[in-house]
Amino acid sequence: MLSINKAADRDHLIIELNGEVDASNSVELDEVIQQALSEDSNKILVDGRKLEYISSAGLGVFMSYLEDFQEKNVSFVIFGLNEKVLNVFHILGLDQLIRIRQTQEEAEQALYEV
Amino acid sequence: MVKLPNIQRGKIYIMLAILSWLALLFVDLVRLFGEINQMEGDISQEITWILEIIFFIILYIYFNDSINKKEHSNFLNLIWRAASTGLIATAVSFLIIYFYYLLAGSRLSEDPLLRNFFYHVNFALTTVFLISTSLLWKHLILYQKSKAVVQQWQAYEVILLISMFFVLINQESFNYGFMFGLIFLIIYGVILSVNLKWIPYLTFREKWKSILFLVIIIACTTYLLVQMVSYNQKNIHFINLSENLFLLGIFAFVLIYAVFSFLVTLFNLPTSSVFEQKLTEAISFQRLSQSIQPGENEEQVLDILMDSSMSAAYVDAAWLEMHGQDAEGLPARVLHQKFISNGERQELLDLLKNTEPFSGYLKGQTDAKIEYINGKIPHETYQSVLLIPIRANKKVLGDLFLLKEVKDGFNKEMINIISTFVGQTSISIDNYRLLNEAIKNERYREELEIAQRVQRSLLPSELHHNACFEIDGFSAAADEVGGDYYETYRFDPDNFALIIGDVSGKGTSAAFNMSQMKGVFHSLVQLNLRPKDFLTKANNALSRCLEKNNFITTTYYTVNTREKEIHFARAGHCPTLFYSKEAGKSHFLDIKGMGLGIVRNASFDRYLEEGKLSYHPGDVMVLYTDGIVEAKNEKGQEFGYDNLRCLLDRFHALSAREIRMEIITAVYSFVGKDILPDDDYSLLAIKFKA
Repeated sequence: MLSINKAADRDHLIIELNGEVDASNSVELDEVIQQALSEDSNKILVDGRKLEYISSAGLGVFMSYLEDFQEKNVSFVIFGLNEKVLNVFHILGLDQLIRIRQTQEEAEQALYEV
Repeated sequence: MVKLPNIQRGKIYIMLAILSWLALLFVDLVRLFGEINQMEGDISQEITWILEIIFFIILYIYFNDSINKKEHSNFLNLIWRAASTGLIATAVSFLIIYFYYLLAGSRLSEDPLLRNFFYHVNFALTTVFLISTSLLWKHLILYQKSKAVVQQWQAYEVILLISMFFVLINQESFNYGFMFGLIFLIIYGVILSVNLKWIPYLTFREKWKSILFLVIIIACTTYLLVQMVSYNQKNIHFINLSENLFLLGIFAFVLIYAVFSFLVTLFNLPTSSVFEQKLTEAISFQRLSQSIQPGENEEQVLDILMDSSMSAAYVDAAWLEMHGQDAEGLPARVLHQKFISNGERQELLDLLKNTEPFSGYLKGQTDAKIEYINGKIPHETYQSVLLIPIRANKKVLGDLFLLKEVKDGFNKEMINIISTFVGQTSISIDNYRLLNEAIKNERYREELEIAQRVQRSLLPSELHHNACFEIDGFSAAADEVGGDYYETYRFDPDNFALIIGDVSGKGTSAAFNMSQMKGVFHSLVQLNLRPKDFLTKANNALSRCLEKNNFITTTYYTVNTREKEIHFARAGHCPTLFYSKEAGKSHFLDIKGMGLGIVRNASFDRYLEEGKLSYHPGDVMVLYTDGIVEAKNEKGQEFGYDNLRCLLDRFHALSAREIRMEIITAVYSFVGKDILPDDDYSLLAIKFKA
């Protein structure tokens, strides 16, 4: 089960992930990011506080946009991941490519420091 | 007992019948001769009666046999058989009369012996006619028989048998006993004669024919009866054969059943067409309900629907228009068109589009759930129209247009039956499509099985090793095919390469990427690279092959058993679990790493680290894929890293094979029987011995 909320805050976009991202619903996540990019949001914050699980397919979604983020100069920060999910990012090495923060404040700070 | 073949039996019966008739004739003529010449006859009349009874019984058995053999002949043939026998008997009787007419005045014409001979001929033919006809009636009475009717008939046969012998008991003719018996037989005949179920099954034409035949039978029977009775009155010297109750009884039965059949058939004539109509409808319904046979297609079913609907409502013209199927890219088209030209159809369609209540539906405005539209149109030829949408799988496939020249041509019953036809057609088409889909799925499944076999062969059946270490592997895919991969390679007796990998996603796409990984491994391993270089080159190769959002995690190891050293690099794969005998516990070898295909440029090697460790005998290394640690039980809890680590702490002393088995068993019992694994599980256990 996954529900995604998208909200604008100041000049950044917050994407809130709720539940589990797996092969069956990773497309939804993909659509949301795709949409955000097409709307020319250049600051994207992913709220992962309620993200319980992410499968390789879900990680694949983030991974597939890394190049786009770089090209379009989009800053992308994930925050609030629980230990288990963070470990998944870490094992794959995605934490070396995506900025991951503990709290929303830290994340926002990271978002605006570029 | 020797069983005689049927044909011979029939011939024997005929022989016996003729013999008994000849004996009867001889006995009677002798008796008559004695009577005329007033000699004291030694032959009593009982012999005549007994011979007569024998004759009856033989004929009865013979005809019973021969009619049963022709069980499947139709009703009309049966009635015609009876009528023709009657005609022959009558014709012979007329010939005899004509013969006497020619002989008129001569002495011969007065000869009682000759007259009696002809009387016997007449008697024999009449008996043949009556017995054969009553047995044909039996066949008609027992059509669609119930147990009660069969019992009635059997009782009747017994009564007839008794009636044959009545003459032996009751010597006086036409007394109360005889009359009572006759009346009883007549009443019983009437009761049996109400069984006329065969009549409705005749078509209109057949009914007319059967009426004709029945009239012939009635006429013949009446004539033969009158003729037989008149013999009694005209001749002084004669042997009376007609006083047998049996003979009069079946006379009555044959006549009564013929009259009943005649009347019922006659009164059935006007409703005959309705019955035929219902029968056609039933057959149409059956044809529609039979699912489409292989080799047939939907159009044939729709054709049957057209024909059935048209005949059910006496439709003058009709067409069937199929809607365009967006999914199949088919344009709208007219599939069937009966008794109407293209121009006329177009004209009518335009008219309908402007006429209520059709216009709303045809323009797609009204509710699509409409079942039928019945109405009239201002057209010079056609006055009433019935439009029925044909649906399959909740989608409208097309519309059936039925036209009649009369006003209000479609009544409730017609609409009902046509709706039923349409409903049945929809079911047939649905079933046909489902069946086709099932066949297609079956084919896919077979293809997948082949893929599964191919992929199983991609995993090594034997793992390279030497006396210094044991190695044992296990892999299970969640779907038919999986994305897990492991392999070994031997450079020389002391140097080995190991790899374990997991392709993102699962199922078929993962399986394809896994086979690419295998190719990359076998190409690069021969270069004998350091693990970090190996992975960098692998990333380079795979970046060109993998889809944008696919990646592969892997760990590559080189093992040198002489130096007792392991070099490894981790490309985003789960950290290796290592049990150190020295430390007495196991830990995860966590080094920096990055999945293959995530960074698709030269900077990839920046994210990699290379690890090195020295092992000692008794150390154990466990390689696994994330399916193991992420395996979930019914409460949604994950198996986890700690569980895995504790298991190795517990079982490190066992052999590689036993360690592997213990861990896999533990994972499966954690997950439970009721949950299907949703990821691929793979595990390699390596135990160092020297």
